[in-house]
Formats: sequence, structure tokens, C-alpha cells
Amino acid sequence: MLEMTRRTFLKISAGTTAAAVAVPKVLHAMENELGGKDFSPVTLAERLAIPTNCHVCNIQDGAIAFVENGRIVKLEGNPEHVSTRGRLCAKGNSGMWYTYDPDRILYPLKRVGARGEGKWKRISWDEALAEVAQKLDAAIKEDPNTICMKYGRNRSGGVIDRFMNTLGSATVINHTSVCESSKKIGMEPTWGPDIETPDFANAKYILNFGSNIMEAAYFHNPYSQRITEGVAENNAKLVTFDVRLSNTAGRSDEWIPVFPGTDGAVALAIGHVILRENLQDTDFIDTWCNVSTAELKAHYKQFTPEWASGLSGVPAETIERVAREFALTKPATTYTYRGPAKHLYGSYNEKATMMLSIMTGNVEKRGGYCMPRGMGWPQPQPEPPKPAHPSAMAHPHEYPLAGHKVSHLLPYFIAEGRQKINVHFSYQDNAVYTNPGAQAYWGKLYRDEKLIPYYVALTPFMGEEAALADLILPDCPYLERWEPESMPNSLWPWLGIRQPVIKSLGESRENRIMMRDIIWKMDPDGKRGMKQYWNFKDGEDYMRQHFDNVPGLKEAGGLDFLKKHGVWPIYGKLNPRTGKISDRTGREIVPEYGLHMKELSASDMTGTSVDGKGTIMKNGKAIGVRRNGKNYVGFPTGNRLINIRVDEWAKYGFNPMPTFKQIPWHKDMKDDEMVLTTYKINVHKQARTASVKWLAEIMHSNPVWMNTETGAKLGVKTGDLVRIESTVGHMVTKAYVFEGIHPKVVAIPTAFGHWEYGRLATLKLKEKEAGEFGATDDADLNNVWWEDKGVHPNAIIPTVVDPIGGSQGWYDTVVKVTKAGPNDKYGDVEGSWEKHLVAAKETMRYAYNGDLHRKMHPEMASWAGPASVKPGEGGGHH
Amino acid sequence: MTTATLQKVTHDESGFSNDELVAECRARASVYRMLAGAFLEEPSAEYLNALRSAEAMATLQAMGVKFAGDFTDVPLAQLQEMLACEYAVLFVVAGGCPPVESIRLTGRYQQQPFFEARDFYKKHGFEISNGRFAVFEDQIGVELTFLAEMLERAAHHLESRDVESYTHLEKEIKRFWALHPGKWVRGYATLLERASEHSFYRQMGRLLGSFAEWELELLGVRVDDLDGGKLKVPKAEIEYEFDPDEPVCDACDKGRKDGDDLDAMLQTIDTSLIEKRIKGKA
Repeated sequence: MLEMTRRTFLKISAGTTAAAVAVPKVLHAMENELGGKDFSPVTLAERLAIPTNCHVCNIQDGAIAFVENGRIVKLEGNPEHVSTRGRLCAKGNSGMWYTYDPDRILYPLKRVGARGEGKWKRISWDEALAEVAQKLDAAIKEDPNTICMKYGRNRSGGVIDRFMNTLGSATVINHTSVCESSKKIGMEPTWGPDIETPDFANAKYILNFGSNIMEAAYFHNPYSQRITEGVAENNAKLVTFDVRLSNTAGRSDEWIPVFPGTDGAVALAIGHVILRENLQDTDFIDTWCNVSTAELKAHYKQFTPEWASGLSGVPAETIERVAREFALTKPATTYTYRGPAKHLYGSYNEKATMMLSIMTGNVEKRGGYCMPRGMGWPQPQPEPPKPAHPSAMAHPHEYPLAGHKVSHLLPYFIAEGRQKINVHFSYQDNAVYTNPGAQAYWGKLYRDEKLIPYYVALTPFMGEEAALADLILPDCPYLERWEPESMPNSLWPWLGIRQPVIKSLGESRENRIMMRDIIWKMDPDGKRGMKQYWNFKDGEDYMRQHFDNVPGLKEAGGLDFLKKHGVWPIYGKLNPRTGKISDRTGREIVPEYGLHMKELSASDMTGTSVDGKGTIMKNGKAIGVRRNGKNYVGFPTGNRLINIRVDEWAKYGFNPMPTFKQIPWHKDMKDDEMVLTTYKINVHKQARTASVKWLAEIMHSNPVWMNTETGAKLGVKTGDLVRIESTVGHMVTKAYVFEGIHPKVVAIPTAFGHWEYGRLATLKLKEKEAGEFGATDDADLNNVWWEDKGVHPNAIIPTVVDPIGGSQGWYDTVVKVTKAGPNDKYGDVEGSWEKHLVAAKETMRYAYNGDLHRKMHPEMASWAGPASVKPGEGGGHH
Repeated sequence: MTTATLQKVTHDESGFSNDELVAECRARASVYRMLAGAFLEEPSAEYLNALRSAEAMATLQAMGVKFAGDFTDVPLAQLQEMLACEYAVLFVVAGGCPPVESIRLTGRYQQQPFFEARDFYKKHGFEISNGRFAVFEDQIGVELTFLAEMLERAAHHLESRDVESYTHLEKEIKRFWALHPGKWVRGYATLLERASEHSFYRQMGRLLGSFAEWELELLGVRVDDLDGGKLKVPKAEIEYEFDPDEPVCDACDKGRKDGDDLDAMLQTIDTSLIEKRIKGKA
């Protein structure tokens, strides 16, 4: 028998470790199912699992709805979804409360009192459709463009445009200018796509400009996962420039506070250091860009760290260090969302930040800055033709480069009589809450029957906008409707669907059905030629027309495959040990990189010509670029290159090269003035979650963030009331004083302070003994322990328009903050319609044909002026 | 045993003849329908006309229902329009108080009560047939309509001298009251009285509450109203005196005593309250 003591055992153990490691692992800890199944805790019966795509916000996470006895009882992530890999955020987990919301609108409602008075009558669909059809017929007789559609979160897959095209109206106003349009316009002419898809998981260095990606930005859920992998598994360094200590900044290796709107200057200075120290990827620049390294070096000389430091407050040495780290660490990527873009010259800021990934050659590399991967689907045929005449409001002539429109100028345009409106529709768009000016500006517009004679809100909820409508048509929440879906939220393209997981409640109808019914009412026998474009039986039939002939998907089963899985393709299986998708061999799936370096086939090259710059032309269009004897597809721009110089911008007197413009009214701010910024949080979206159970309980109020130093100066401590005044109004709210914000900035999250949108959003149940119509007696409301619904800041935020990209300057508002006075009370909000109109007029002075344009662009002195450009020559997506 | 009990009620102690019981069932059904008409959807002209007839007004007045001038003195078309608006504000528009059991008891549409009610109707061969508007299975108007139909059937069984079927149906009516309207309509009725600006719904709320009390007493069903409109005690302290998931005969484990004949008890109903009530009325 062997003799073993504790000491010999230790020696044996130490000496045999290597051998022990080499033994095959045949056992793993038992794993539970990683989703996809759920069981009733009472009956233990398996619940019906129906895959869909989440649409609480717009990240489009793959989801599964579990239904028990006809009731949606739970939502969770779809483990087959390649982007979100079985995870769903707090908002997504709460989605079923839209369906069962006690304040949901379930029938067509017709206004019977004054607008906004709250007096309604329920009418039948037939009555509602007849009324709408009659109003539309009258409008079409006068001018189809007098029919306006203002949409917000439109994921209908083309239905809204089909509807408006059928009516012959081009007055389609989206919401992108209050979202991220200047980011899109900063990017599109440069490299083609309107967004990037960074490979965070494989990056070694992530430079984040103003995006709260781990909490709220595009694409929060899938990107949070990848950033976490990059940081935790790949040892990536995450550096965040932000005006406040966001949840992303707080989880970064470094948070660098920056003065609002100066991210672009910081990025240019980082570029300056990179080029000065020859740390750029010369080969990439000279091969793929329309500006040479030498030209770029010359151009960037002006953007010194000291210059940027003076503007941004970021120390020059920090800029120098970050520049070296970023350039010398490979692979690396930048990321932005609204932070740099939502300013007067947001497009320049976006361009400046993306330049860092370009000049370091991190584009389309593993761990780098990649192009988005998406998938399309065909439209049901036939399609209506485009409207005969353009709309002066949809594409205002002052903003020819703003291809994603300038939606937030609508009140100004209507007030000035630019275009008459006879019938106004809103679809999932609560502009009275979400837009600059809010109730003071959009509320006034929607109340005024002279400006908007007839207003139809297509919505399931009584939002601030719907409360001012003449007619409400009850749309379905997302768990009750069909929609095609695809989002570039990972490096693997996918197609997906939303499908009804239960029959819709009451008499609500999904968007395509109600629009079809309106058209059918107008053209019952098809003689007007409208009905032919709405030839489908139901939502599922429409989806079949989208999906049953998509190559690859067709062979897999078309729509039936999507109904069963929710997404296509299925790239692999969610690995319970890694939480990532593995292929059949158990290895993690790997995306395709270098899309621009795909070579054109011989058949592609047939009939082409190649010009002196290597551009491969076919039928008058650039299809690729020749480099080193090879024919590549290049980038999806007009010349298949990355356009560091955007000549189209120069046509309108804008600087075609990367540049920065300081916001003029930020230059001379007084000591007691600050910049008001807004932000989103993880459990709410902009306007539509305040009444969602769970989410409302988690967060329901929004004190204004203020730096400790600022608080001390003003004599304000956490909980004190403060008065915040801008040029267009004032508000009174509570302060939250701490160190996590730039001293010259105050920040307020949106999603709070509703005056409509149901009982949890408004908390009217707390206002009087019996609540509103007895709402206080709702059993569930006995659990509402909070009494603070927050204060909404948008009424005091004036309209600002980026003259290039059209974005609202959400983060440009200069305010004066003081301790509240004796007459101020919590929740006071006051804004002026007249002052908002003045602000809109003022911001238009920066447009290419405005009187301040030249002053802001002395470097473009040789520009021949607005008269040199023919109207309608603008770029972007018209 | 069941037969004996019933016979005792119908002939011996109540003093009600079989025909009188039939008439009473139909009278109760009529009240159920009249109340349902106020809630199912916006009152029709026919309904309002019938309600404003001298005979109906006198009957309602005798029961203590006092409509104000906004109901009695307004031209019919105007009244209908006013009530349609009031209906929308009270029951349809955000911030209102839909007369729907799921909302009242769980704060959400289409929850467990909805499915249970639907199953109950199905068990008795009923399904929803929408009127002018789609309506939830656990809407008060539907629940009242169902009870009216059940009472009609009960009357029919009495007419046919099918005491066993009548007894079964009466048990089912009790069960439905205990499982559904008994849990919420009394509290809800008080809420409606407070919330309505029009005397029609205020008075209908009063009538609904009183009628519910009356019916529950008549049926001998004792169930706490869980609706917040009347809730006076924390929910956790509520105890069912009538267990809705058990037969209506104290046959549950909690109520059974050693030596009780369970099978016999299953066939028995406690009719003492009914007897008392009927005697009182007679």
C-alpha cells in the first residue's frame, strides 16, 4: 500500500497538474435549457412558445412570447436569434403590458368636445372609415399633398409609403431629424451606409463618443453583449467621451468629460496626433479613400490638441495619449450615436469621429469598424407609383443635403403657410411629447383647427398627440401584428418577423389592415385604380407576399419557417457554456469581414470600363474599383470609395473635408449659464413606456443632474427645487447633485412628466380622491407607491436644425439655472409658441441659403453662393 | 334529498307555487337584461325609450331609482348622444373604468377572469356574439346577460317540472356569481356612482349594486367583493366564506366534519337564505 502524507500529497498534486489538465473533459456542469421553453408553475404544462421580434424600442431583439390558455404570460429572448442570442432587456420583458393596458384604445373614437377636451364617442369602423374616406376624397380633389402623414416608429415594412403613394401624397414626414439624421448624413456620403456595426467583441480598443450604448443607444442589447465580451474576454480598453457619467461611461476604463458638441473637435485633434506621428494606415487611406494621406496630413495640421482642448475642456495631453493608444492598438473601433450628432453641426462631428477608424485602417477588419449587414425583402406587387409632385414640407429646399428630412420644422412650415394641410395622420408618433417645443409648440399646432383642420391618430394609446385628435383609429401593439423585420445589429444579417401571438383585443386593427380598409372604402370596386395595391386577405397573406420568394428562405420554407423560428437564417446553436452561437462543430461562428474587398466576377465585369482612378463603370454606374490589378466591389458610394472629401457638401458652401464648427451661442456663455442635455435610460424609451407596468415602477421620475461644484455655487443640493430657463420657456424640477457630470452641463432624462398616456404615466390617480374616473380603484393601482411622475423638459428646448443633416440640436440649449423661487412649484413647465417660432426662424439662418452660412464658413469663401446651385440638386435619400 | 329540499322550498315553506317561481326567474332575468343593456354598449334608442316609458319609470322609482332631469327631460336623440359620450368617457377612453372583471381585479384586460368566464359560458353552450362592438367575455353586460339566459333556462326547467336540472342550474348560477360578478360588481357599482356625471349611469350603478346584494342574498352566496371600489380591508385578510372552487355544499375539506356523507352533501344546497328571502317577499 502506498504511503501518503499530506505533504507527499501536495507534491504529487503539484507534479501531476499538467497531466490532469491533459485528460479529456467528458463531464460538464449540468446546464438548464437556455430558453425557448417555459412551463406553467401550476400545471407544469409546457407553455405555447411563439417567436417574434420585440418592438418595445427599436433594437429588434429576437423574442419568444409564452402563451398559456390564450394569455401572454412571459416574454424572453429567442435563443435562435443570431444578434441578441436569447437575451431580452427589461423593456422587452415587459412588452405584454402594452397588450393588456387598461388604458388601451380598443375602438375607433371620435372627438365630440373641443380638441383636447377629452370628450369622445365610440364609433364603428364603418363609420370611421367612411368619415376618413370622405375627408381624403375632398383633400385629393384640392391637392393630394394636403394629406400629411407624420410617422414615428414605423416598422411597417413599406405599408405607410404604400398608403401615401396610393393617395398620391408626398407629404410624408418621418421622425428621423429628432433621432439621428445627422449621424446618417455624416456617414452616408462618406462610405455609403448610414450606420456602423463595430466588432466590439474582437476589438482591443473602443473609443466611444457620446453613446450610452450599454444602456440605451442603438443597438443596446446586442452591443452590450459584444462590448462586455470585448472588455471581459478580449481585454479591450473602453474609453468614453461624454458630458455625463452615463452607465456606459461608468463601465468604461476611462470617462473623459467633454463640453457638449465638441466631440468633433476632440476627434479631429486625435486625428491630428495620429497623422502628425505617422500612426495612420497609409496603405488603406491611399487605396480606399478619395483623399491621399499627404492631403489628409496637410488638412489635419490645423486641428491641434491645444485648439481642441480650449473648446472641449479635455486636456491636450489626454488627447495626445488617447490618440497614440487608439492608433497603436489593433484592432480598434470608434462608436457614436446621438452624442456628437445632435448639434447644430452634428454632421461634421459624426464625420470627424468616423475618420479615426478610417485613417487607422480599422474599417471592415476583425475587431474593427464594419459596415452594417442587413437583408431586404420584396414588396407585394403591384406597387403604387410615386406621387406626381414633391412636398415642400417633406423636403424643404433650405436643406438639400438632409436626405432624412427635417421633421421638427413642421410646425413652423405649417404656421408660415408653406403648405396647406387638409388631413393630418400620425402613426406611432407622439410629436407633442417627443419633439422640441412639445406641448408649447406641437401641442399648439395640433390644437389649432385652422392649421390642421382634420387630424387622425393611428395609435393604441391615448398619448399627448392622440388626445388632440379628431379621430383615433386603434392600432395594435406589437404582439398582435405582422411586420417584416431586419436590423444590422450584429455582423450576421438576418430576416425576421413580428407575428400576432394572440388575437388582437377589442376592435384594434394592425396598420396594414386599417390602411387597406381606408383605401377599400375609397375605391370599393377598384375603378379608381387604388384597390389593386391593397390586394391581400390579411396580415399573414401580406407577409407571404414579402417572404415566400426570398432566395434561400424560400427553400427553407418561406414565411412558415419564420413563423416557427422568428428569424432566418439560423446560424447555429446558443452554446450554454459561452452564451454565444456555435456551429455544428461547437466552434463559435465567425462573421465575414472585408466586404469592400469582395472581387467582382467575370460576369460582373462584362461590359465594364475602368477610368483613370480605377473606378469600374457599368451602364453609367460605378460597380467597383480596381486596385493592384484586382476588381473589388469597394464601398457602396457613388465612386465605390470612402469619400473623405464630400464634394456634394462643397456645392452648398459646406466644408467638404472633416471639420468642426463651434456652436455660436456656446462661445459667449455667461458664468451662470449652462447647457441642458437630455438622455435616455435603460428601462424607458422616449414616449411610449411610462405606462408600462414594471418599467414605471422601476423608474418614474427624472431629477436634473448637476455637478457638485455647480450645486455649491448655486446653493443647491440634491432634492432642492431648481428653475431652469431657456430662451423659449422655463421649468421647475428637482436637483440631483453629484460629480458625474460636466460642471457646465445639466442633464434630464426623457420619458417622464407625461400629462397623457394613461394612468401610470400621468399618475392622475394621485391627484384627487377618486382618481380620474375612479382609476384609483383599479386593483393594480393600489400598488403604486410613488407619487412623482417627473417633469418633461422638451417645452423649453428650442428648435435647432443642422443645416447639413437636418438633425435637431437636442444638446445645444443654453439655460440659466437658479434655486427655485417662492412662486415656483415642482412640475411647472412653460413654453411659448411665439418664441419657438422665433427659434425655428433663427436656426434657418444657418441653412445654406441663410444669412449666417457664409459667416460660419469663412474657409469656403470661394463658394459662388446659393444662387449657384440649382434647386433640388441635394443628395441623401430622397 | 335534493328533490325534497327543493320541494320544501317551492311548495311547503316559501309559499311560492311553481308558477310563481317561474315568474320570479323571468322577472329576475328581465332585471339582469335591463342592467346589461346599460353596460354592454351605448344605450340604443329603443332601450332608452323602453326605460323612459311610464310603466318602467314607475317600477324603477318604486325600487328607489331616481333619474334626474338629464335623463327624463331630454329629447331622445340628445339623450342618446349624451349617454354615448358618457359611456365612452366612463368605459372606453384612457383613464376610465371599463366594466370588465379582469381590469377591476387585476388591472389589465383579458386576464384569468376573462378565460374562466369564457369557459363557463362554453360549458353551458354559450359563446359571445358581438353586438355593435366587440365585447370582452368578462364585461359586466356579458356576465349579466349570461345570468339572464341561465334564469330563462331555470324557468323552463321549472315549467317542465325538471327539478334536477333546475337545481343543477341554480347551483351553476350560484357558482358563477361566486366566481365572477360576486367578486367585483358591488364595489364597482359604488365606484360608478361616484365617477359618473350623468344620472343615468349613477342610478344604474346604484341599481346594479343593490340588485347584486339582493341576488347574492337570495342565492345564499357569501363572497367578498374584491373590487377596489369597495375594498375596505387589505386583500391578504380576505377569506372566502364561499369557496368558489368547491361544490356549494360545504363539501370541501375545510368545512367537512367527520362522518359527513360527502356524496349526499354534494347533492345538497343550503337553501335557508333563499327560503328566508322568499318568505319575506311573499
